[in-house]
Amino acid sequence: MQAVFFFVVAAFTVATALLVVTRPNIVHSAVALIFSFCGVAGIYVLLDAEFLGAVQVLIYVGGITILLLFAIMLTTRIATRVDVFNEQMGLSALIAGGITAILVYASLTGIQIAGEAPAPVETTPALGRLLMTTHVLPFELISILLLAAMVGAIILARREKE
Amino acid sequence: MTGTFNPADVLHILPEVFLTVVALGILVLSFAAPSRRKWIEILAVVGVGGTAILLVQAAVPLFRPGGEPYAVFSGMYLVDKFAIFFKVVFLVATLLVILMSIDYLPLIGVPVGEFYAILLFSTLGMMFMASGGNLLSLYIGLETMSICIYILCGFLKQDQKSNEAALKYLLMGAFSSGVILYGISLLYGLTGALDLKEVAASIATMDLSNPALLLAMVMLTAGFGFKIAAVPFHMYVPDVYEGAPTAVTAFLAIASEAAAVAALLRVFLGAMPHIQVDWTMLFWILSVLTMTIGNIVAMAQRNIKRMLAYSGIAHIGYVLIGFVAGTELGISAVLLYVLVYAFMTAGAFAMVILLHTETVKGDLIEDFAGLGQVKPIAAAAMLVFLLSLTGIPPTAGFVGKFYIFGAAIHAKFYWLALIAVINTAISLFYYMRVAMVMYMQEAPTGLVLSSSRPLYLALGFAVLGTMVIGIYPGPFLELARASVFGLLP
Repeated sequence: MQAVFFFVVAAFTVATALLVVTRPNIVHSAVALIFSFCGVAGIYVLLDAEFLGAVQVLIYVGGITILLLFAIMLTTRIATRVDVFNEQMGLSALIAGGITAILVYASLTGIQIAGEAPAPVETTPALGRLLMTTHVLPFELISILLLAAMVGAIILARREKE
Repeated sequence: MTGTFNPADVLHILPEVFLTVVALGILVLSFAAPSRRKWIEILAVVGVGGTAILLVQAAVPLFRPGGEPYAVFSGMYLVDKFAIFFKVVFLVATLLVILMSIDYLPLIGVPVGEFYAILLFSTLGMMFMASGGNLLSLYIGLETMSICIYILCGFLKQDQKSNEAALKYLLMGAFSSGVILYGISLLYGLTGALDLKEVAASIATMDLSNPALLLAMVMLTAGFGFKIAAVPFHMYVPDVYEGAPTAVTAFLAIASEAAAVAALLRVFLGAMPHIQVDWTMLFWILSVLTMTIGNIVAMAQRNIKRMLAYSGIAHIGYVLIGFVAGTELGISAVLLYVLVYAFMTAGAFAMVILLHTETVKGDLIEDFAGLGQVKPIAAAAMLVFLLSLTGIPPTAGFVGKFYIFGAAIHAKFYWLALIAVINTAISLFYYMRVAMVMYMQEAPTGLVLSSSRPLYLALGFAVLGTMVIGIYPGPFLELARASVFGLLP
């Protein structure tokens, strides 16, 4: 049952991801991206990482793609079709396919498949505890990073005084 | 795996805490008193200086006999001589960049407070990279540094080349970060650990020809290849160097490169010493490509910033030689080279800023024409940097190259050493062309130089560093050797 569900979700994720890169209209791509992110969230839930799944929906689906859509609408020429294919398509497909093949081969032969899955545990409290103990330093550093990024975004976006 | 948070650990990161507080102070000051440019500049210099003092004070016990390196914050942050050495390089580089910027920023119309605040945040990220004992803290340090530099590159909003530089660097940087993260996640999947020591211990028990392990290594090599600008991952570098404001270019060339090298050494020597044979081979190839292509393409450049970009690529090729050698001698030569490179390159970029006035942008090689007759002292300083970049005694560049090549020969990488020597000969051509333009060509009428005192101070400091290390390298080499102790397996 779980396996069937996994394959359905995985196929959905890959199919929508393909739509993202092949649609000539950028708004369609952005909308397809929402569904692709939802598929990834589904995979997290299947792996008993329900907190990660929820965060994926909140941040990627709710935040990032919405921002992306805003950015598209605020810039010009929303509806114009973009030619997403050029003469280097064959080459890039070859490289992408090659890398995928290597990744699949390496993961299949290199990573051992665990026998029984461990009993699902509630991950959210454990994550919270880790953030405040083991990972407190990176956690604080990220806040500096976000502050710097915010200041930078304001500088780059604000209108210059004439 | 689960650690505890010990509040006393904060005492061990005092230099970083101080730098953060100063950067925040600059931000507050820049909107509370925007007309007080002087205060902001003084605060920035004091911030770097104070951080350096705190750092030295933290380093003293380590350099006493019996001073052992240790880790705090559950292994996230390492206090060892290696970290201290690199942090000193970052702080020197940041100080030089601030001195160069003081009169340059108003000239090009960049908001001062935000510039220094983001510059210091970037330095903070580098310091965490040098101290990172865990792939997670290393990565977040790397991102803090990079994101700040993307912003700095785009500070000239009216200038298309600056926009291009910021955008290109952002895209390539994000892509390479993705590749590094992929490598890290593979390593985590294989070993179940992110702590460098735990990863190494787990790899030791594994089948070393495991394809997933090798793939993780290749991903990390490619990702760090982008960050240190090794060929074939270098294509964004010349455009970014050319488009960014020159002070930012200098920061990128000296501080950010040094930080990327620090992280590279930490990750490869710390987490993957058991597959050193494999990555040595990869980096051998990267090193040869990097120095050869860097030097050859540098010959064709008319813009001095682009030329210095390719020359920087070539120098990363030399640095990789020491890394490939992998011996204690090789790694300490890398550290020494990073320090030497910081001084001579900072000087070269300071010269570009010196030529930048309200009318002349000063970034073409022909802008140096006649400098030798009109401003002999400035020209002499540039000559020192050029000689050092080529590697001619008695400058620091010679000492750096001498130990790098020596380490390669000592570790029996004869071909690598030979290729490096040929490359040095090639580089002589384009560095000396600048010298020729300075001394053999007529100056345009009304050649004006910037009259910025802090800039002259930075130039003097760079000349001093280049000459002192060149004439009296002993203590610096000793310091570099002491700093790698314990890093190698």
